[in-house]
Amino acid sequence: MKLTVARQLVRLYPRDWRDRYGDEFEALLADENPGLGGLADTVCSALRERIFPTFGGNMNFSFATVVRKPSAFIPLAMSLTALVVLGIAAMSGGLVPQRDEGATAHIWQLLMAGQLPVLAFFAIKWLPRAPKQSLAVLGLQLGAALAAMAPVFLLHL
Amino acid sequence: MRSTRRVAQHPDPAAGHYSDPPLLVLASLADGPKHGHAMIDDIARICGTRLGPGTLYGAIARLEQQGWIEPLRAQDRRRPYRITAEGERVLRAKVITLQKFARTALGRLAPS
Repeated sequence: MKLTVARQLVRLYPRDWRDRYGDEFEALLADENPGLGGLADTVCSALRERIFPTFGGNMNFSFATVVRKPSAFIPLAMSLTALVVLGIAAMSGGLVPQRDEGATAHIWQLLMAGQLPVLAFFAIKWLPRAPKQSLAVLGLQLGAALAAMAPVFLLHL
Repeated sequence: MRSTRRVAQHPDPAAGHYSDPPLLVLASLADGPKHGHAMIDDIARICGTRLGPGTLYGAIARLEQQGWIEPLRAQDRRRPYRITAEGERVLRAKVITLQKFARTALGRLAPS
């Protein structure tokens, strides 16, 4: 197989997999002449690797790697934004219990509820791959969410 | 409707193939380290199944994850793998189970 085709096929795999197996897999594809069946096999395997990723071997993830994933930092950012929204409302004197919920309350609710699917996605994707690091990130996300919720409950807003 | 009789009258050469990629990789590495291309050739020789590159590396990645094989130093971009002690134990256990299964199945087929 031509090296350029082999290189394109390797690119179908996730980055972590490529970092670990990319070179040797590319060499194997170049050695073999897989034909259409082999091409289909490689495409299907790449797809499977994206859905059910391999972990372990030399593919260990550090906390810094995991926390930089969008699904890890987006919920953190949303909780912190919710906290900032409350802070701005407090400084402008709008942080008082109201019968009719205002814009601040709606923004806060959207930010807190909107992060739940992202958080679930993170847990489903990363807990099996890097349990310890993912639990630490989930702890951080929980802490940030509690910090954003604390003023609401403490001030009975 | 397909019947076993029809299969017996027109034997399909592919019917004798066996495909359990992780087990085939372990069996291939049982007699010494090999890289991907050598594994594919060896597996084709021992059981008639030629694994696709994606299937082979899917099995390698998962076997490595389980600690049943380990990588050696790469030689010219080709990385050989060898079976670990745990991998040998697992392979032996699986093959003994298969042997019992095969003996029983062949024993049941014998009278006909």
